Amino acid sequence: MKSQDLKVLAKKSDQYLEYETDELMTWCGGCGNYAIQNAVKRSLVLENIDHQNILFCFDIGCSGNESDKIQGYTIHGLHGRILPLAAGAKIANPNLTVIATAGDGATLSEGVNHLIHAIRNDYPILFLLHDNQNYALTTGQASSTSPRGCRRNAAPEGVPVDPLNPLELVLSQKPSFVAQTTSSHPDHMTDTFRKALNHKGFAFVSILQTCPTYNKQTSNQWYLENTIEVETIKKYDHTNIWDARKIVESENEKIPLGLIYQNPKKTNFLNAMENGKPRNLTKEVKHYDVSKLY
Amino acid sequence: MNRIRLKIVGQSGSGLLTVGDIVSQGLNQLGFQLCSDREYPSLIKGGHSCYTINFANHPIRSLSHTADILVAIDKPSLVAYHQALKPKGTLIHGYERTQGIKDILDQAKKKNITIISTKARQLAHTYGGNELMANVILTGMVWKALGFELKIVQKLFEKKFQRKPEISKIAIKCLKAAFNEVKKISDIPLPTKKKTRKLLDGNHSLALGAVHAGVRFYVAYPMSPSSSILTHMANMSTKTGVIVKQAEDEITVAQLALGAIHGGTRALCATSGGGFDLMTETVSLAGIIETPLVIIIVQRPGPGTGLPTWTAQGDLNLAIHAGHGEFTRLVIGVSDPVDTYNNIQHALNYAEKYQIPVILLSDKVTAESKHTIDPKDFESIAIERNLTEGKDLKKLASSDRYALTKSGVSKRWLPGSCKTWYFANSDEHKEDGVLTEEGEEAGKMYAKRNRKLETLLEELPEPTLYGDIKADISFIGWGSTRTTMLDIIEFYKDKNISVNYLHYDYLWPLKTKMFEKVHKNNANIHLIEGNYLGQLGNLLEQKTGLKLKQKFLKYDGRPFFIEDVIEYIDKHTKS
Ligand SMILES: Cc1ncc(C[n+]2csc(CCOP(=O)(O)OP(=O)(O)O)c2C)c(N)n1
Ligand code: SF4
Repeated sequence: MKSQDLKVLAKKSDQYLEYETDELMTWCGGCGNYAIQNAVKRSLVLENIDHQNILFCFDIGCSGNESDKIQGYTIHGLHGRILPLAAGAKIANPNLTVIATAGDGATLSEGVNHLIHAIRNDYPILFLLHDNQNYALTTGQASSTSPRGCRRNAAPEGVPVDPLNPLELVLSQKPSFVAQTTSSHPDHMTDTFRKALNHKGFAFVSILQTCPTYNKQTSNQWYLENTIEVETIKKYDHTNIWDARKIVESENEKIPLGLIYQNPKKTNFLNAMENGKPRNLTKEVKHYDVSKLY
Repeated sequence: MNRIRLKIVGQSGSGLLTVGDIVSQGLNQLGFQLCSDREYPSLIKGGHSCYTINFANHPIRSLSHTADILVAIDKPSLVAYHQALKPKGTLIHGYERTQGIKDILDQAKKKNITIISTKARQLAHTYGGNELMANVILTGMVWKALGFELKIVQKLFEKKFQRKPEISKIAIKCLKAAFNEVKKISDIPLPTKKKTRKLLDGNHSLALGAVHAGVRFYVAYPMSPSSSILTHMANMSTKTGVIVKQAEDEITVAQLALGAIHGGTRALCATSGGGFDLMTETVSLAGIIETPLVIIIVQRPGPGTGLPTWTAQGDLNLAIHAGHGEFTRLVIGVSDPVDTYNNIQHALNYAEKYQIPVILLSDKVTAESKHTIDPKDFESIAIERNLTEGKDLKKLASSDRYALTKSGVSKRWLPGSCKTWYFANSDEHKEDGVLTEEGEEAGKMYAKRNRKLETLLEELPEPTLYGDIKADISFIGWGSTRTTMLDIIEFYKDKNISVNYLHYDYLWPLKTKMFEKVHKNNANIHLIEGNYLGQLGNLLEQKTGLKLKQKFLKYDGRPFFIEDVIEYIDKHTKS
């Protein structure tokens, strides 16, 4: 984010404030979710997204507890199921900007099949993975991104198996948009979300999220020291899937942030179904003459 | 005219579908009314399949398990089914060598059965046809035996093979040859009033009714016997504009449907019991966020994989109880193509009107039995969405969305329609959807959702009584059973026994006034239900404290055939 953007934000403070609620936040002090929420709001304002036509879709978990703490149409679904629920709403009404949010537990365990098929179908929605490497709302059990050996609730001797790498998984499925950012870097988040909001297919954004309560290993400091923005890497080409795969799979280097991969040529679900002319199905509910169909 | 009962038997994949379909279409064109169904195993090739057609010049709604005419395509099927043939019936087959079936032929002779045969395969080969052409020959044999004109079936075959003129030519030659080989055996009076009826099954009419009612998104995962709804929806989609999606599993199916309905369109999904098990969490979610949802369960016997291609009424309890927590839902049972077409429209209306999950129970026979229907019986039911729209949007407050009304129903408006947003929260919430764990607030919202049940019960019609209020024997039932019971009432009309039947379209919430009345007037009152526990009967007994005399239950994957019920009635009306 540039200082210029801040000025724009200042000018549009009314728009920004429209997202505020009177509800008390229920996140711990220092939780990465605060910064994520702010960056989401900033990016929506900066991209001039019509507030009335946003549908925020929340999974169950700490991140999902934002569902009544941001103004707008929200839906708070079931654990692991937010992707198909959000995709359904988008199919019905393509005018909605659909933003789905879920934790690593929801996305990579309970509902991992939905992730794979959301990528394959390229549902045109924005998906924010809040990866805090644990099941926070259920008090800190291990998730499938918890590093091997780290201690978690119900894993007193340390997690005995290797974690899975969400970006490796996603990139193996020929996605159309993959980015990574961290709650420790609000400006980087805002920029990343803005790019994602402009993507026409399934925009997968992995957010490395701090959870000071249950994940002491990855503080803000740690993320800032252990990540690298791909834009600073010489010759990194985010349209080249092999560059992307290589960088997410290299274990001894820093964790990549930024737009990892984009394939703007992929046809998203709505365009594939409707020859490039998605219809607003909410306006089509009426009687149809079926007498010639049998 | 008594019904004429035809069974065509053959291994799956042998082509008996062709014979059955052509004969059915031909009968429909002649103006007969018919009901047909296919029994087949859950495999692609081999096993025995049976295509049953019952027809007459008056309404025929259900099937007999015996046959007047048996058409056997191959030996294993003949062995499996020959006993269904009534004495004095007709056996039509096309084998060259009869040694292997000598016993059966001897038995048939003892039963005074007329045997009509040709060397079907040889005949087919003479005209350049392959083995499957033997089916054309068999069709010709049945048609001639029945005494009907060649040109009707000829046209049907020409239409069937219109894209393959070479095959068409051979087929017609085979057909004519078959006609020359066989003598007609019956003089069936042709219907005098010819009406244009359509041959449709319940899954097809369900798809049509849903399209008519404005369903714009259909999503499913294949599962017998619901799969053909997906096929019909997909085949019609270029004309209807419905977006049809085969999703990755039933959990996704239900979530996509609910999301689409929440987004603001009419969406629909269908499955069978096993798939519905996976959807139950979504039913519960719909319950708390009060987003409408309609799910079709086309029943087959469970548990587990059960009998995939057979029928049952075993999932009533499942439909009523599925999903954790307590919330209002509506369960509807359908019984034939016409009532499926009409009731899917009601289902979609009730779901939106009350903002509840509606589960529509069909079953394998309803889904796949073809009936000759009069399109005039297809109703066009006004669409009721119960949405706040237009100018009224200006007057909304967020807390209107889940306002604690007396009826339990609050206002619903679509995301994006105005700046008065709300939170659709699966956590317990206040009137605007903001989470609450405060006891009083939580309790009030919980009660509001459940209050809808009373409101809905009030609006629902009582079950329908067929026959007089007093009868020698009474039955209570739901779903496809109605087709059998209507034929039964007809059957006993000129006999000395009177029968009445109380049919439940709306199964939950449960109306009982009419039941109590029927019960009061009839001591000889029986449940007829396609399951082991007598699920509807138990509900009625629990709710009213009344007892049914006996429960007539069937749970072997077969529907109630006419003979089953006749036998039961004869046993239970001897004083
Ligand atoms: C079907 C189901 N299973 C389990 C739970 C309990 N549960 C609530 S949140 C959660 C895990 C949360 O972890 P994650 O998705 O990573 O989100 P976080 O809380 O870390 O943000 C679980 C298991 C549930 N709500 N529903
Ligand atoms: S437990 Fe972790 S994720 Fe949850 S609110 Fe606290 S810091 Fe945030």
